Amino acid sequence: MGLQHTSVPRWPTADPGVDRTGRAYAVMSFGPDAAPLAAGWGRELHALGRTVWSWHGEAATDEAVAELRRQVEYATVGWRLMLAGPQCDVLRAHAEALRGGVLEAEITVLVTDAVRTRVWCAHCGATTLADAALGEVTGCSGCGRSLYVYHHVSRRTATHLGFMADAEELQ
Amino acid sequence: MTTAAARRSAALSSRIAGFPFPFRADTYRYSTNVEPARVPVATEAGGWGGGILDIDGEYAAELAERERILAADPTRLTVLPHMRPACWDALRTLLRELAAQHPDMMELRRDGDELVWRNELLGIEQRFRDGDDDTLPGGPLGFLGSQIQDDIVLLDQREGSLWADAGLVTFAADWSLHFDVGMRFLEVHGPVPRVHEEGVISRAERFLMRLQPGQEYRRTNWTMSVDRRLDQSTEVYPLWGRDRRLIAEAPADELAERLQLRVEVQHLIRLGASGAVLFLIRTYLLSLAELAQVPAWRTRFGRVLAELPDDMAEYKGLTRFRRAAADWLLPDS
Amino acid sequence: MTLKLVVRRSTEIAEGIREIVMTRPDDGPLPAHPPGSHVVVDCGPQRNAYSLTNCGIDPGAYTVAVLRRPTADGGSGGSEQMHRFQPGDRVALSPPRSAFPPVSTARRHLLIAGGIGITPLLSHARNAVRWGADVRLLYVHRPGAGAYADELSELLGERAQRVTEKSEFSVLLRQALVSQPMGTHLYVCGPAALMDRVLQEAAAAGWPPQRLHLERFTPAELDPGQPFTASLGRSRRQVSVPAGTSLLEALENAGVEVPNMCRQGVCGECRVPVLAGRPLHRDEFLSEDERVAGDSVMCCVSRSETETLEVDL
Repeated sequence: MGLQHTSVPRWPTADPGVDRTGRAYAVMSFGPDAAPLAAGWGRELHALGRTVWSWHGEAATDEAVAELRRQVEYATVGWRLMLAGPQCDVLRAHAEALRGGVLEAEITVLVTDAVRTRVWCAHCGATTLADAALGEVTGCSGCGRSLYVYHHVSRRTATHLGFMADAEELQ
Repeated sequence: MTTAAARRSAALSSRIAGFPFPFRADTYRYSTNVEPARVPVATEAGGWGGGILDIDGEYAAELAERERILAADPTRLTVLPHMRPACWDALRTLLRELAAQHPDMMELRRDGDELVWRNELLGIEQRFRDGDDDTLPGGPLGFLGSQIQDDIVLLDQREGSLWADAGLVTFAADWSLHFDVGMRFLEVHGPVPRVHEEGVISRAERFLMRLQPGQEYRRTNWTMSVDRRLDQSTEVYPLWGRDRRLIAEAPADELAERLQLRVEVQHLIRLGASGAVLFLIRTYLLSLAELAQVPAWRTRFGRVLAELPDDMAEYKGLTRFRRAAADWLLPDS
Repeated sequence: MTLKLVVRRSTEIAEGIREIVMTRPDDGPLPAHPPGSHVVVDCGPQRNAYSLTNCGIDPGAYTVAVLRRPTADGGSGGSEQMHRFQPGDRVALSPPRSAFPPVSTARRHLLIAGGIGITPLLSHARNAVRWGADVRLLYVHRPGAGAYADELSELLGERAQRVTEKSEFSVLLRQALVSQPMGTHLYVCGPAALMDRVLQEAAAAGWPPQRLHLERFTPAELDPGQPFTASLGRSRRQVSVPAGTSLLEALENAGVEVPNMCRQGVCGECRVPVLAGRPLHRDEFLSEDERVAGDSVMCCVSRSETETLEVDL
């Protein structure tokens, strides 16, 4: 039971299927791998007669997140969010939805890859989008320190914890 | 206590006498070691635990240290907006607790629609309106943190989980409140080895979720640190990290003077009005040299350190110096 | 723990409904509690659970509202006793227990009350107003039996809708379930049929169970259990464990020391090996596998399914 209880999301990498209990849906997808999956979800939901709002882009940019925020603001209970894409993008959209009062039970997630990571520097507070996986080291875009990407994830801020990799080696 | 023990106890400093030595055996593993609060514990050197809040000789120094840390990094106080009622609940509950413990020095009284808090130990009197954040410096949680030595975390209960949604933590042992705020209880403890496989954390969470209004429990936890540095948060790891390496290379006398057994007495209280779980963390430091004045502690802690599994030592950050510390504590083995 | 309070006031506030106000004999402060809490009151031979209408911050009094359910109509007799209480009468009750609290992160609280089910929701409404939270109330009751109608309309104004016609309620419920902003939580208290219906219609409108909260009274304490005998394998002694006494207490009374800490079935300290007999597990400590194995028991809360439980003590 160990890993499932850590803070690192273990989201499905295969299609979890459409949650049919909702009344209206938003489908957001990021990157080329996610596009056909999201399109499949959209078709299935239309066939079920549900209202669907779809959005596709390359990444969970500030604009994408702002668009999602507007959707959540106008949504009524019964709404569902379906997300597909790289983990760092999905995590960011997921965080925005939670902030708007959406429950994890109302979000379906599919992760296409986990190549990139958003790393929060505990020392300067900057967030760096890095091509680094868990346990690797990346440079902080804020203070320049080498950050160890720790296996600790905040779903609220959509970041991994990063801390100085060589603090104990300093002279 | 025998008369010989009483004499020895009187000779030890109050810091040693009140130290909550946490080990009940010569080995240590994680467990859901909760017990009812307010039950005094007698130790070889004195005792602890008769109350919830312990004001000791470090009161003024530790509050000044907290103020300094908060001024440098205001994120050590983080409150998600829905936690305001819980913060006020914690404030009312703990100011009353202080006043009940120190009726000669402290008082919380109602004056019309205001509350008046008097703390003669700090020489302050503060008027505020219950529930109005603007009437208290630092808001309810910030002000509370200026009156008690404990770090404070507030857990909200919903969706079948506890959520660490507010806190004032300036004396963290190798974690970051600001990063952890908003996480589920299980997520906060995600990086801790062993505890998930053994079900310790989920059992603790189930226990906390069943606490009824006013119920109070406590547990202890421990680690080690170099010097009497209370702020060992991840944020300032660049400042204290290298001491972990340097201390292992230090001469024996320096090692014993600087290396500290760091014990947290954690209280877990279900608040009444908000239903939040109040988690208090009071940190005590005692150097190996001080600890060694109590022979039973010296031997027991030495054995615990020598036996501790590598993964637990690594998580607690003891790997570099625990052999040297155990050797100093157990010179004959 | 039991609170010994004094009845200060008993008032008929609607047809068949009395409001009863209780304080400490010295009028001192009572334990605070979250909105939606209940107390278990000793009323004659019965112990009945009643919701507190207070919002729960620094209460000086506990207030309950009781609908009289005559025994002839299937009531247990407890509510009749409650209606007989006079000012000055002593009453014993449990401290408040919380099983129906508001969700602090809710963007809106939608309260749905049927009849006397208004009592915990009045507590919710007061709390929401105190903290400036978004709140709506839909309240259906028999004509003449609308407890707290004036107070609620003063507290909530337009945000409260009160109806006495079932058909009108159906329309308002259906509208409410499809028009709440994301982040709304729904709380319902009332007759079982009403609660079932609200939950069913909400689920059909796409509400996940995490947003739906209903008041159900849970047993205030672990039930006292059946008596059994603990047979101590090593010392060859027999210790009888009466109903209402835990195995741990019985062992302690017999002078048998067992290490223990929480005495709530959580910490695992008081685990005792079982040699024969079948434990009745009531703890949180043992895993499912360990329960099935049946070779140990947490003696602070667990008991025995068999008349005798042989333990390795």
